[in-house]
Amino acid sequence: MMPSSNNPTSVSATVGNRLRFQRGSGPRGIAKALIMPAILAAFATYLLYGIVVMKVPPSAAFPGPQFFPGIIAAGLSAFAIILGIQAVRAALVTPSIEEEEAGGRAVGVDWRSFAWVAGSFLAFAFLLGILGWIIAAALLFTGIARGFGQRKVLFALLVGLTISSLSYIAFDMGLGLSLPSGILGWAF
Amino acid sequence: MDVLVLLGEGFAGALTPQNLIWVLVGCVLGTAVGVMPGLGSSMAVALLLPVTFSLDPTAAFIMFSGVYFGGLFGDSITGILLNTPGQASAIASTFEGHKMALNGRAAQALATAAIGAFIGGIIAAILLVFFAPVLAGLSSSFGPAEFFALAIFAFAATSSVVTDNAGKGLASLLLGLGIAVIGIDGVTGAPRFTMDSPNLFDGISLITVTVGILALGEVIYVACLERHISNKQMIRPTGRPWLTRREFAEATPAWLRGTAIGLPFGVIPAGGSEIPTFLAYGIEKRLDGRRKKPRFGTGAIRGLAAPEAAGNSTTGMAMGSLLALGLPVSATAAIMLAAFRQYGLQPGPLLFERAPDLVWALIASFFIAMVVLLILNLPFAMLWAKLLVIPRPYLYAAIAVFCGLGIYATSGATFDLVLLLAVGLLGFVMRAHDYPLAPLIIGMVLGPLAETSLRDAAMSANGDLTTLFQGPIVIAIYAVLLVVLVAAGRNRVVARRRANTTQKETVGV
Repeated sequence: MMPSSNNPTSVSATVGNRLRFQRGSGPRGIAKALIMPAILAAFATYLLYGIVVMKVPPSAAFPGPQFFPGIIAAGLSAFAIILGIQAVRAALVTPSIEEEEAGGRAVGVDWRSFAWVAGSFLAFAFLLGILGWIIAAALLFTGIARGFGQRKVLFALLVGLTISSLSYIAFDMGLGLSLPSGILGWAF
Repeated sequence: MDVLVLLGEGFAGALTPQNLIWVLVGCVLGTAVGVMPGLGSSMAVALLLPVTFSLDPTAAFIMFSGVYFGGLFGDSITGILLNTPGQASAIASTFEGHKMALNGRAAQALATAAIGAFIGGIIAAILLVFFAPVLAGLSSSFGPAEFFALAIFAFAATSSVVTDNAGKGLASLLLGLGIAVIGIDGVTGAPRFTMDSPNLFDGISLITVTVGILALGEVIYVACLERHISNKQMIRPTGRPWLTRREFAEATPAWLRGTAIGLPFGVIPAGGSEIPTFLAYGIEKRLDGRRKKPRFGTGAIRGLAAPEAAGNSTTGMAMGSLLALGLPVSATAAIMLAAFRQYGLQPGPLLFERAPDLVWALIASFFIAMVVLLILNLPFAMLWAKLLVIPRPYLYAAIAVFCGLGIYATSGATFDLVLLLAVGLLGFVMRAHDYPLAPLIIGMVLGPLAETSLRDAAMSANGDLTTLFQGPIVIAIYAVLLVVLVAAGRNRVVARRRANTTQKETVGV
């Protein structure tokens, strides 16, 4: 009797209706299953490259600055291969209906929502310095709410402006964190 | 009775009006994130970390522990009323708790859960008062080899005990360790993996990683599932949230058994309170089966009482091993360990010597937090359930705004916001492919400790690595680890075999 997911705090386990992303089939399914092993392999390569080009002072005694990262890179490469093989094997087997049901309802990724959320945050990262906290955060709020299917954009913007203004007052003026005032700067 | 004097001084330190306000703020926030499904105390502590830098450390940690305990009080409310546990630690309490609510005993179920959490937490806090200084004294003789063994213990336990696929757990751990080695090497001063970018000389901030993995990653993940989530009907409790004497007599043994099961898990880094809550539920179910009239399945009060007590007693002890050993047993504890370091404090034996007023005020605040949480939860459970009225788009939009606020306030750089998005995307991919996230956080927090102690030990022995496996304490730590791993492996085999037989049975029928 254990939680079914490896991340029991994530919504798939806690919102009650058990959901998970469906596994694709064919070459696309294999490609999808290989995303994580590919990330592991890429990170291992980055570490290996860094170990090779690292400028180590001649005084460094064994085990130097390259030793521990070397172990990590080796481990990452090993698990990239192991998990890659596991993932391909799993993708090649079409799961039976019973297994499908045991793992929860499979659903597709909502790419439009994904684009709204990730895009809004990326825009926020670059616009924050120019627009200032109050406007940029309100836009971020609206964009994310839109990504979650909120259609009343103007109302969301109003809620967002309230939250960004209140947080500006609480954290910038109250707790003394520095948030950019941006183009509204003349007013403060 | 030295500890009692120290505890008394701690109470004096914790009972200032200012600190009482932070206890209250922490408890309210913790209960709120506990109540809301999908939000947990680890996410709340990660989000609070950057904005607490302007507070003094005592106030910050008092608030953090309020959040940690509050999450465990709040999480069962929605589990009982809605059959939707607020956090993973309430999944086990939901089975019988929701059945009690369906039978019209929702008020009693809420009371059982709150009192159970209180009993578990208070017993753990009392034990902690006597046990933590002993543990700290023991660990004052620890050298690099011992700390390395402790780190390995935490790595192995978190990445393989909780997860069903040890490979995924270890891969997640290695990602965390790898992120932690980026930046200037503390021993030799050599820049590592920085690509000569000054943005990376100080390494990747732990705050960016925790907020990205735990908060922004979750926002992206839920956004991609939002269309498919359906809302459920809530049960409205009637009657006073109190128990009759008979119900008390029925629940008390379960509360105590649950507490006893939870306590040892506060010292074993096995991911926090999920495992003990399930164990406590399982044991109560087995004991119930022996009774003349088994009550499980019909809303057994014991099936709710035991896991609630277990969850909070684990958390109480977890704070002890964090303070005394610097050993984080869950993602939340790992983030709190990072918070200690941000204030220049190193949890462990030295903390009790160098900052006794902070340690004892914090321990005293556990007692205060338990009382505050009992008051907040017993009569006002229905008010908390009202939080579910907040529409999910606004809730998650506000979380995303808060992610941006925390990261920008600590670094003031666009680079860190972009990095946060990248880490958030990593968190999303890991969630989608069911990779556990806690090992990554623990790897990142304990990675530097493991590396420095490895190098210190080896360098003082002229490069001889076998020195890492010598000494009675070191061998004892590895022996305990071996026992934990074997027990976990055996459990998994048993569970798989049982699953296979039930499958065959259903096929046979």
